[in-house]
Amino acid sequence: MRAPASPARWLLAGTATAGALLLITRASAVPLPLNAGDSARLRLSWSARPERIEVCRTVSAEELEHLEEHMRQRVECDGRFATYSLRVEADGRRIEETVVRGAGLRHDRPIFLLRDFELPPGSHRVRVTFTRRERTDDDAAAFAPVVSATGDTGIYAGRAEREGVEHARRARAAIPARLVLDTLLTFAPHRVTIVTFHPERRALELLGEPGTR
Amino acid sequence: MRLLERGARRTLTAIDAAANRLYGWALNPIHQTGTVAVAMLLVLIVTGLYLLLYYRLGSPSASVARIAADPWLGGWVRSLHRYASDVFVIAAALHMLRMFAQARSWGPRTLAWVSGLVLFGSGLVCAWTGFVMAWDSFGERLAREGGRLLDVVPIFSEPLSRIFAGDGPVPSAFFFVNLFIHIALPLAMGAVLWLHVSRLARPTLLPPKPVTWGITVALTAAAVVWPAALGDPANPFRLAAETPTDLVVAWWLPLSERVTPGTAWGVGLALSLAALGVPWWARRPRRERWAPSVVDSRLCTGCNQCPQDCPWEAITMVARDDDRPTLVARVDPGRCVSCGICAGSCAPMGVGPPGRTGRDQLVALREQVLPRLAEADRTPVVAVCCAQAPASHVAALRARGAHVHAVSCVGNLHSAVIERFLKAGAPGVIVCGCPPRDCASREGPKWLHERTFNEREAELQPRVDRQRVRLATLAAGDLRGSVAAFDAFARDLALLERPVRESDEDLDAVCEPVPLGEVAS
Repeated sequence: MRAPASPARWLLAGTATAGALLLITRASAVPLPLNAGDSARLRLSWSARPERIEVCRTVSAEELEHLEEHMRQRVECDGRFATYSLRVEADGRRIEETVVRGAGLRHDRPIFLLRDFELPPGSHRVRVTFTRRERTDDDAAAFAPVVSATGDTGIYAGRAEREGVEHARRARAAIPARLVLDTLLTFAPHRVTIVTFHPERRALELLGEPGTR
Repeated sequence: MRLLERGARRTLTAIDAAANRLYGWALNPIHQTGTVAVAMLLVLIVTGLYLLLYYRLGSPSASVARIAADPWLGGWVRSLHRYASDVFVIAAALHMLRMFAQARSWGPRTLAWVSGLVLFGSGLVCAWTGFVMAWDSFGERLAREGGRLLDVVPIFSEPLSRIFAGDGPVPSAFFFVNLFIHIALPLAMGAVLWLHVSRLARPTLLPPKPVTWGITVALTAAAVVWPAALGDPANPFRLAAETPTDLVVAWWLPLSERVTPGTAWGVGLALSLAALGVPWWARRPRRERWAPSVVDSRLCTGCNQCPQDCPWEAITMVARDDDRPTLVARVDPGRCVSCGICAGSCAPMGVGPPGRTGRDQLVALREQVLPRLAEADRTPVVAVCCAQAPASHVAALRARGAHVHAVSCVGNLHSAVIERFLKAGAPGVIVCGCPPRDCASREGPKWLHERTFNEREAELQPRVDRQRVRLATLAAGDLRGSVAAFDAFARDLALLERPVRESDEDLDAVCEPVPLGEVAS
């Protein structure tokens, strides 16, 4: 065995060990570039339910008779989920135009939107439009609620009203048919400005680092 | 694949040589990278438990910053935790390189290779979650890249990337799941580690104490002198120009960020499959493989020595199918790596790989080696060298007049061979093995030493003069040490009387086929 015995050998081994450790510590914190340049970023990020476009009809009393009592839904609806056109402009120049659908194979899941756009620092007029692509003549009238149904008694009492309420709730939870944000924004270098959908105000709104906007 | 293997072997030899020169082969950490990785895992667990006490899921970056700012304990414990993870990755990678270079990745070792890869991958994922826990700019970068990669896999109801978009706070649930993975993975790694060594008898899990403490103390010193970097707290409203990136554990990040998630997955999966397939790519054709050991049940006395010596638990003792009252050894060919250590352990020479049993070794000696030695005026010193020994060292011994006799592993060498050389007039026999922690057969030098000096079966007979036998280690990069060991032995032999050649009639008797019935009696 030739273990490091002489002082010179110990010194060499110690120096090599220190060198290896220094290498590891340096490799452990390499300053790796991530966002080169001074550019800023506009980020669109929101999730919302797409609107359900459907045609509803009131089921006749004869038809209901053929169903089990617990399956007697007064209004039957058939339809699909809306698709949306997203258009982003900066200083009048289109930087994005795309179709947005609900997630999932049948597009029946919420819309999850996340888009980043690089912009040079400074002031820019930003216009974001999010518009339903399908046309319907009268969205609100599509569903014809049944105010009362004499057959619903006992535990089924008020079922028709509940159907209507639930349907209306879902309609309200959907993202509006048209959203527009048109504003002048000042982008600082290396800063992100976020455009998101506020579900209670039902409008697009801006988010930025607290104290910088 | 052979080309790759040769390249890996050359690289490894160069690293080994450098480390042997610096630390000596006994303390060379590169020889024990597998155990160094386990030692680092222990350091990670201990330091991780401490960090866990002060980590807050509700304010991850602030709590880590607080830990890092503690000059007494938290600061260096966190840095030690980080550096131990780096050394874990480096050690595991070198361990894989060694196994691949030494063709120890296939056959019965397939399970160890595959489970080792799982351990390596788990270590990388664990490190990933650890950096995300800190939630600084680098942690955020890793989390975003993870989200980007996982979003193409249709398993989450909502894209992960939106968690970090900034339109809402990052939910605590994310940090909880991340912490859960960070803690659960090491536990799972413990189970996989058990699987990794499950085919080994007497697995060595830790390096020698000087190496364990040496590395731990050195890393602690590094943690104190060069504390691990912590980036700015993650902020979705700010674009970090650069991040302090740990390229040891996140070496893949710069590559992954440059390509689409699909390409990253494709390349990652292809590389993983290629690595998992090494036991199939690298395995030798059947004709080139050393066959597993076999047992000559007529010679087996049921002494139970070969199962004790086998490093792979490939031998068991079973009931005989004849009327002898002993057990008989049975080799499981699915576990046997053909190291030949059993051949060295068997006094009656009844077990071993075909062509390398004690009996085969004596036959080769009688027919090929001894006649040549007999032609010489003075029988030279014999150097029995492991086939894995550095060629330059073997050549140096030969140049100094030694007769070099190669064996597949010094643990395969039967002690009768040493005695036979001495009887043939050799002034001495020096057996040159690999550094014990670098023995491809795992326990060759250890058993050789026990058999030569401590009367372990099959021991070197007491009648053999131990002054004429020496064990040495040929370590890459330490040619001077190898030559010095040989010269010292030659000097000591010169002080002894010249031995006389003895008759080898009994050798003929040993080497003849054993008639059935004679042994049984």
